[in-house]
Amino acid sequence: SDNTAGSLLLLLLLVSDLLLCQSVASLPICPSGAVNCQVSLRDLFDRAVILSHYIHNLSSEMFNEFDKRYAQGRGFITKAINSCHTSSLSTPEDKEQAQQIHHEDLLNLILRVLRSWNDPLYHLVTEVRGMQEAPDAILSRAIEIEEQNRRLLEGMEKIVGQVHPGIRENEVYSVWSGLPSLQMADEDTRLFAFYNLLHCLRRDSHKIDNYLKLLKCRIVYDSNC
Amino acid sequence: MKESVASRTVFILLLFLTTSLLNGQSPPGKPEILKCRSPEKETFTCWWKPGDDGGLPTNYTLTYHKEGETLTHECPDYITSGPNSCYFNKKHTSIWTMYIITINATNQMGSSSSDPRYVDVTYIVEPDPPVNLTLELKQPEDKKPYLWMKWYPPTLVDVRSGWLTLQYEIRLKPKKATEWETHFAGQQTQFKILSLYPGQKYLVQVRCKPDHGFWSEWSPESSIQIPNDVTMKDTIVWIFVAVLSAVICLIMVVAVALKGHSMVTCILPPVPGPKIKGFDTHLLEKGKSEELLSALGCQDFPPTSDCEDLLVEFLEVDDSEDQQLMPAHPKEHPGQERKPTPLDPDSDSGRGSCDSPSLLSKKCEEARADPSAFNTPKSVEKPENPQTNVTYTWGSRSTSSEGKIPYFAAGGFKSSTWPLPQPPSQHSPRSSYHNIADVCKLNMGTAGASATLLDKTDTRALRSSKTTETGGEEKAAEQREVESFHSKTDQDTPWLLPQEKTPLISVRPLDYVEIHKVNKDGALSLLPKQKENSGQAEKPSTPEASKEYAKVSRVMDNNILVLVQEPRAQNLASFEEPAKEAAPSHQQNQAEEDLASFTSAPSGCGLQRAGLDYLDPTCFMHSFQ
Repeated sequence: SDNTAGSLLLLLLLVSDLLLCQSVASLPICPSGAVNCQVSLRDLFDRAVILSHYIHNLSSEMFNEFDKRYAQGRGFITKAINSCHTSSLSTPEDKEQAQQIHHEDLLNLILRVLRSWNDPLYHLVTEVRGMQEAPDAILSRAIEIEEQNRRLLEGMEKIVGQVHPGIRENEVYSVWSGLPSLQMADEDTRLFAFYNLLHCLRRDSHKIDNYLKLLKCRIVYDSNC
Repeated sequence: MKESVASRTVFILLLFLTTSLLNGQSPPGKPEILKCRSPEKETFTCWWKPGDDGGLPTNYTLTYHKEGETLTHECPDYITSGPNSCYFNKKHTSIWTMYIITINATNQMGSSSSDPRYVDVTYIVEPDPPVNLTLELKQPEDKKPYLWMKWYPPTLVDVRSGWLTLQYEIRLKPKKATEWETHFAGQQTQFKILSLYPGQKYLVQVRCKPDHGFWSEWSPESSIQIPNDVTMKDTIVWIFVAVLSAVICLIMVVAVALKGHSMVTCILPPVPGPKIKGFDTHLLEKGKSEELLSALGCQDFPPTSDCEDLLVEFLEVDDSEDQQLMPAHPKEHPGQERKPTPLDPDSDSGRGSCDSPSLLSKKCEEARADPSAFNTPKSVEKPENPQTNVTYTWGSRSTSSEGKIPYFAAGGFKSSTWPLPQPPSQHSPRSSYHNIADVCKLNMGTAGASATLLDKTDTRALRSSKTTETGGEEKAAEQREVESFHSKTDQDTPWLLPQEKTPLISVRPLDYVEIHKVNKDGALSLLPKQKENSGQAEKPSTPEASKEYAKVSRVMDNNILVLVQEPRAQNLASFEEPAKEAAPSHQQNQAEEDLASFTSAPSGCGLQRAGLDYLDPTCFMHSFQ
């Protein structure tokens, strides 16, 4: 029993260390309703915007890299029409629509989109690694995007917890079923699957970034950025 | 019949072909979409380039359909954005949606279509340049002026709601320069430039970029004139300074020209030649050294003919550790006195053994008389009159001794007129003590002649000197001293203690003792500086004083004191031998005899008083060793 107690303690220490490491970047959460929480919300939004901006930049670069290297002359763009798995999520399509949505709904929408990308990002990293002559530019960005996406999700959940705590919807998200395509033997099909995935990622990361910036200006700066 | 129809058809076709060839008309060439741009991510415009029109008026249309829709639309606005353009207003613009756009060219002959263009408004944002660029030169007090510029985002862009986030960049250059200096300004709409060249006209431009889009064009140039650094006031000041310095230079030049020589002599005075008062260089030339030397100013000195004057000398009295005896040179032998240590400068120094024996003998006597009355005087008890102990005149030898030696309290050499040869090691005084102690010991046969006694001799001496002041207690003091002297005879090691004990002894200031004169019976009378009576006090008590004084029988070699042996001298023999050994330089047997006699009796350290004689202390030193 000594051994087990010792190993449990070690495990506990290890876990707490990991948590601490991860939470180094996290911001303090203030209890809902507290007056000084506004400052903390501002920090949360600032952080979230920084992350979303960063993720979209990475996605854009990754797409351009892939397009330049693998998709030239294949006419993938003609085929990548209405093929994103998140198109089922009804997202606003212009500024007016985005401004008419209530910020809680918009936050939930962002969460849904983020959650929808957990799985595809994970597989993207795995499959890019398996690509012949896996380009480091694409692989490193894929890995970074996956990690930052997770952190953004955590930050968003904190923001939601502050903006309208208590309301917790079921975790709704779009299921991605493009994995088989990524693993196709046919190079053309596989490459198109990658292209499509990266194309959708670029778009959705831009959506999230835009929605967050709108929300930030609306909530934190009272529409006066 | 069939043949005619076929041939007719061919003929008509050929006719058409010929007609068209002669006209030069053809269906329009393929148009091409140049670019599509959105200035604010709410509307966008596409421009195309028409192809060959085929010589006929060609109609261009733009058709598109959106991602996820099957309907094909036509361009809603061909005019707003100019010719060959299509403007999509807010109603017709959807973000994050792919537009598939095609241009159709149609003319009488035919039509052609462009390649479809896939356009996502999200990625074609290129705003207008920022507007209202204002420049201002701010000049805070006591600081350098700087350029402050402000601008506004382009009018169409909605930054307030956060729909677009803009970043700015400015560039500036002096009007005549060729290269622009570019600065990134982030999301702020103002900027400061600190490093400006005064007197230049600057041109400034600004542009902006959305968070995920293209840079705008540069705004129109704004210009500003930077004023000169130097003001009118400064210029006047500098002119004034220049004129003033010119005038001063002119004056100086004139002064130098007129009185150059006198100024030179004033600044660089001539080096004076050597001059000695009373020194007549002519005498040198003549070779009359005697006159020369006499002219060197011995006026104050007593005449050499006076024997008594020989004994007039200054003694430094100090009982400090580093005491060194400073015998005053008899002034009548200015030339001679300068022979510091004929024999052995190191060993001699300050032993004062010549002096001490008589004193010691005195003390030894009294110590023997009252051994019981011994008390250990503290080393700190140093009477202020060391000179009372210094009753002896030494030869020209300078002696250095530890402060313990009572008879000569040679203070530091600093105050002495002559530099005394420093003993190379401290032990020599020790040995002197030791020797003196031995002397006493031998003579008295008691243990009184201990180093400690000697060690305390100073104290004693001082005390005795104290007592001598009082006069009455002189004997007692002496007795006490002698007692103490005796008390520690057995302790030879303490002999060395004087050295170590010296720290306990306070350093007394130097005192010069002038030997007033020598009595007819050979007693030296000292004139202590502070207390002139002490010397005289000793004088009257001639019987006792005579114990302390040593008569100098004669002088030897001009620097040796031969002291008169007292009748009570008994243990002369013991001293005699070492004395003989120690005095190689002394070639006079008589001197040695005297020495022996002198050193023989601390108890009865009688001294001959056969007149004035000089004794070389070194001889005693050696004897003690």
